Amino acid sequence: MEVIINKENAVTNVRLVGRLDTPASQEVSEQLEPIMANASGTIVLDCTEMSYISSSGLRIFLSLRKAAASQGGKIIVKNISDDIRQVFMMTGFLNLFEIE
Amino acid sequence: MALNDNIKTVVRKSRGTGLLLVFVAAAMLEATTLIQYLSSQRMLKREASQRAESELRATRNQIMDVVDQAEAAVHNSIWIARWCLDYPDSLVVVSRRIVEENPSVMGSTFALVPGYNKNHPLFSPYVCRSADGNIEIKSLATEDYDYPSQEWFTEPLNYGIGYWSEPYVDTGGGNVLMTTYSVPVTDESGRIAAVLTADVSLDWLTDLIGSVRVYPNAFSVLISRDGTIMVSPVEEFNMQRSIQDYAKGARDTANFNILASAMLTGKSGNLVLGQRRRERTSVFYGPVEKTGWSMAIVIPDSEIYGEIRRMGVLVGILMLVGLSMLILILTATAKSQLKYAEVNEKKERMEHELSIGHNIQMSMIPKTFPPFPERKDIDMAATIVPAKAVGGDLYDFFIRDEKLYFCIGDVSGKGVPASLLMSVTRTLFRSVASHEKSPQRIVTLINNAMSDMNENDMFVTFFCGILDMATGHLRYCNAGHNPPLIFTDEVGMLPVLPNLPLGVMGGVHFPEQELDLACDNALFLYTDGVTEAENTSHEQFGEDRMIAVLRERRDSQGHLKAMEKAVADFVGSAEQSDDLTMLFIHYLNDMKPDATERHLILHNNIQQIPQLADFIETIANEMRLDQSLAMSLNLALEEAVTNVILYAYPAGSDGLVDIEAIMGKDILEFIISDSGVAFDPTAAPEADISLGVEDRPIGGLGIFLVRNIMDTVSYQRTDGKNILSMTKKL
Repeated sequence: MEVIINKENAVTNVRLVGRLDTPASQEVSEQLEPIMANASGTIVLDCTEMSYISSSGLRIFLSLRKAAASQGGKIIVKNISDDIRQVFMMTGFLNLFEIE
Repeated sequence: MALNDNIKTVVRKSRGTGLLLVFVAAAMLEATTLIQYLSSQRMLKREASQRAESELRATRNQIMDVVDQAEAAVHNSIWIARWCLDYPDSLVVVSRRIVEENPSVMGSTFALVPGYNKNHPLFSPYVCRSADGNIEIKSLATEDYDYPSQEWFTEPLNYGIGYWSEPYVDTGGGNVLMTTYSVPVTDESGRIAAVLTADVSLDWLTDLIGSVRVYPNAFSVLISRDGTIMVSPVEEFNMQRSIQDYAKGARDTANFNILASAMLTGKSGNLVLGQRRRERTSVFYGPVEKTGWSMAIVIPDSEIYGEIRRMGVLVGILMLVGLSMLILILTATAKSQLKYAEVNEKKERMEHELSIGHNIQMSMIPKTFPPFPERKDIDMAATIVPAKAVGGDLYDFFIRDEKLYFCIGDVSGKGVPASLLMSVTRTLFRSVASHEKSPQRIVTLINNAMSDMNENDMFVTFFCGILDMATGHLRYCNAGHNPPLIFTDEVGMLPVLPNLPLGVMGGVHFPEQELDLACDNALFLYTDGVTEAENTSHEQFGEDRMIAVLRERRDSQGHLKAMEKAVADFVGSAEQSDDLTMLFIHYLNDMKPDATERHLILHNNIQQIPQLADFIETIANEMRLDQSLAMSLNLALEEAVTNVILYAYPAGSDGLVDIEAIMGKDILEFIISDSGVAFDPTAAPEADISLGVEDRPIGGLGIFLVRNIMDTVSYQRTDGKNILSMTKKL
């Protein structure tokens, strides 16, 4: 799993590439810690190249969302695949996130 | 209800008809008796009449003998008398001879017509028998007596023939009842010269008539020509009163007058006197010739009919008693019939209520067959034929998490109490089996619950099984029930442990047993109503007959129908003594022969998770699953395995996670087992996905995803292992 973080002005772009399974989530969680600590701006989670997500991945999404909510920031989920959209729907995440 | 009314009407009608019949019968009996009575009466009357007439005849003949004798005595003396006319002194000889030669003649005189003999203008020597038997002679030619004016003298002269005088009491000779026969005597020139008489004592008449006793209380009466009562049982009347007199004072004057005139005119016949039945008297009468007398025999009807009347009264009383008894019996019968109808009505109402009970019961158990029409892996049928309207047998089944939960039970006893306990048992089964996954637990929990509340010492034999539809693995627990039959290549009994029935006592351990069913294997569960069904000669249906029926190849519904029919045919006219309950389970999942298994063993390390993706990819390729389904399956499997790694093994300990994928024709099953501490992921609370961001917990989504993706998820702890099984229909 590869995480590419790109900051442009107030927008933090996070590209998630590969499978966000349980072990990957542990790594990604660590990598996103700084962003989570400073989530007052807009964070775009680019899922174009994310092929899979497990519940631990969903936890990261939810943690980010909670952090943004508490710091006045904003999370945008971008380009999720149909399969992942299915998972989002199952778990009620479609209602929690702004999805582009 | 309409039927009931009919019964009542019929009973009422039949009671009416019955009474009518009794009255008709009684009337016929009465009529018969009356006819008999009347004909007997006629016969008695005829008999009385015959007896009276013969008595009349006999008495008359006896009188006539005396009369004839007297007449003969007189007539025989006429020639001598005529010869003596010229010699009055010898006349006495004639009279004397008459008296001497005829004992019935008390006296006799030869009285000259006044002036016939110049020497003796009045001449009438009277010869009579005195009280001591001596013959005395006296002259009647006295001024006091004036014989020429006496009836005995004048009448023969008037008529010119022999004349019987009216009876009279002879005061001269000692108050003797007498009558006199007097005959005119003519001389040779044809001139009437004298009257020759014979006095006949009638004392014998009193004896004769008095001795005529046709019946004990009958009596006879003799009256003279002018109606004077000569002889009768009432002595004051004799010679003192006439029948005409008597008729005036009689109660039934009209008839009495008829009788009097008939007798006075010398007729014979009979007549009934008296208007009231009890006072009626039959009178038979006839004349006594020559004398102008008439005799009557009087018989009170009570004498003639007394016997038959007494008998009639007796018969009447007997008949009355008999009829009363008959009516009593009939009324009692009618009452009991009415009661029977009432009892019937109550029974019907009860039966109606019981049938409601039955409907409620039947609505509780699954009774739509086939129960799972969409499933091809199972063919099931079940039936309960209750012995009474509501029974104590039960069966139930349902499929949860791709497992068939089923049970059969037989409550001790019958009727309403049994059916109530049946309902309780069934409810317990449903509630316990909805969250318990082992038959042992289900049976134990039901037993504990039932033992706690069982105050009536009733118990239930019970068999509970759980069939894994995917694998054919059967786990079961028997609580004192008949061992079910199992159909593999052979028909045999499912081996069961002899556990106690349910409800006997709580806290009992019910060991569980298990067995694998292959495709086309079947189970037949039944209650003893099948094997113990009795025919009229008290033979039991038995297991052999039961097995024989099941040997033929049929679908499960067909098996049960055939069994019902076989039992019914066997039982025949005997009453069904017990509930008849059967459950046939035909396992038809042919997954196993085609099924392939894939195995993956992971260490309890999160880093091994990605291997699952390859594992799933292999399976997906083999099963030709599309990509998104593969991803879902991967997700579910990852969540389940992650749970094991994170929670079943304590941190730092080393353990394995065994992942087995069973690939059926249209089903995929994962069995994830580990030897870690007991951990049931399915027990975790359901995640609430409707919550907002702030309230939403971070965790808890794993098992939620598993449940959502897979069709069934079930956990069990067996032999120190956590076994999580989950299936996905394809």
